[in-house]
Amino acid sequence: MNDEKLHFIVIDDSKLDCFIADKIIQNTGRSASIHTFQQPADALLHIKNNAAISTTIVFVDIQMPVMNGFEFVEAFETLPEDIRKPYIIYMLSSSINENDITRVRRYPSVKQFLNKPLSGKTMTMVLEDYNASSAS
Amino acid sequence: MNQAKKIKLLYIDDEVNNLNSFKASFRFDYNVLLAASPAEAMQILAQHDDISVILSDQRMPDQTGVEFFEEVRQIYPNPVRILITGFTDIESVISAVNRGHIFRYLKKPWSDVDLQSAIEEANKFYVTSAMLHQKNEELQKAYTELDKFAYSATHDMRGPIMSVLGIISIAKDTKDKAEVDEMLDMMEKAMMKLDNYIQSLHDYYNIRRGGMQLTNIDLNGIVKDLHDIFDVTSRVDNVKFNAVVVQNERFRSDETSIKIILNNLLSNAFKYQRKDIDNKEVNLHLEIKQDNLEIVVSDNGIGIPNDSLGHIFNMFYRAASHEFGSGFGLYNVKDALGKINGKIEVVESKVNEGTVFKVIIPRK
Repeated sequence: MNDEKLHFIVIDDSKLDCFIADKIIQNTGRSASIHTFQQPADALLHIKNNAAISTTIVFVDIQMPVMNGFEFVEAFETLPEDIRKPYIIYMLSSSINENDITRVRRYPSVKQFLNKPLSGKTMTMVLEDYNASSAS
Repeated sequence: MNQAKKIKLLYIDDEVNNLNSFKASFRFDYNVLLAASPAEAMQILAQHDDISVILSDQRMPDQTGVEFFEEVRQIYPNPVRILITGFTDIESVISAVNRGHIFRYLKKPWSDVDLQSAIEEANKFYVTSAMLHQKNEELQKAYTELDKFAYSATHDMRGPIMSVLGIISIAKDTKDKAEVDEMLDMMEKAMMKLDNYIQSLHDYYNIRRGGMQLTNIDLNGIVKDLHDIFDVTSRVDNVKFNAVVVQNERFRSDETSIKIILNNLLSNAFKYQRKDIDNKEVNLHLEIKQDNLEIVVSDNGIGIPNDSLGHIFNMFYRAASHEFGSGFGLYNVKDALGKINGKIEVVESKVNEGTVFKVIIPRK
């Protein structure tokens, strides 16, 4: 069993959904740190100013005002490669929209699309995927 | 019938005698424009966009009537085309009719009765097509909104439900009573947000499908209701609510629409306040001035960034990452104003200084 500690970033305009994600991540016992942001711009600043040293898993909501999840990812992808490297991004949405799902696939830095809300099961899957990829 | 309402016709013929006799026969019933050549006709068409019927002679020196119509149709597809011709050109006429360039053709010399009935038919066709065109545009708009709606509804209605389900499953595994209480508060907020959204939907439907009910508007009564609605927010968030009413004459309009407009403007003013200041305030000024109702809602809140100002009346547009925005409010304001012929006169906003909306609604 892999119990390597990971860093987490949650970006969601809904405070409630940030709270849920925070709890679920805590419950895995795998978090070295959890940062939640209600504004994507703040998350981008955080990523720019704090060079991550080890793997950071990012959960970003798609539908947000001012800057949406896609815009966040586009801005993220303009950052230098050494900054981007430790990040694994998942995009979240509560609406099952085919266009969104196909759009998510177009971004190389996005690992996968997930349904909201984040649940213990989805978290387990995310961690298993990470374990599998880091083991190989 | 007044001049403005007469059907506008354009008749093209290279023989001046024909032009004159046409005008003599029809000038009382129709608004008749004449052209002695296709080139001249093109100039007239460029100046008059409300011509409903074009009649053309077939045999003209520069261009035949059929050729002229083919050209006209590309540039001005709306006016209905009638060709006037002798029997000799029948082949080219039939083919033109079949290709859809021409609505009717009439023999020369014409009988006034036949020509008049053709013009009336052509005009009916013109009016119907224009209406159809307008309905099509409305439908197109409705489809676009429906698309947006379906997209947003899944997010805005399903979102809070999913969140609450998420919280419930976490709460089930939580022993600490204080923590559970905190979660209950969150669920309450999520449900209130959902309810708010459904309320906006209801407004949207009311504006769209509800009829207009014109009554005498009692501004003082409306303001009293508004005080009731916003009293709690005003006290909880410590926002001063000042309302001034100046009504010296009667004002008739649709009360539901006016209430929707006021509710949304005020609820935004209360919602988008700066948290860090002490003198938070929302001001409402209602005044009947020269048969118009003037509404001014101002606040000293967070303001709207310049680059967002152009979008705030769009459906589902949200300028602030404020949790409670549905992107519906100002869209409903615009919609309700459209229904009662009102307009937004002024939107002024400065970030961190406040916002002013001025709305004018004419008497019905």
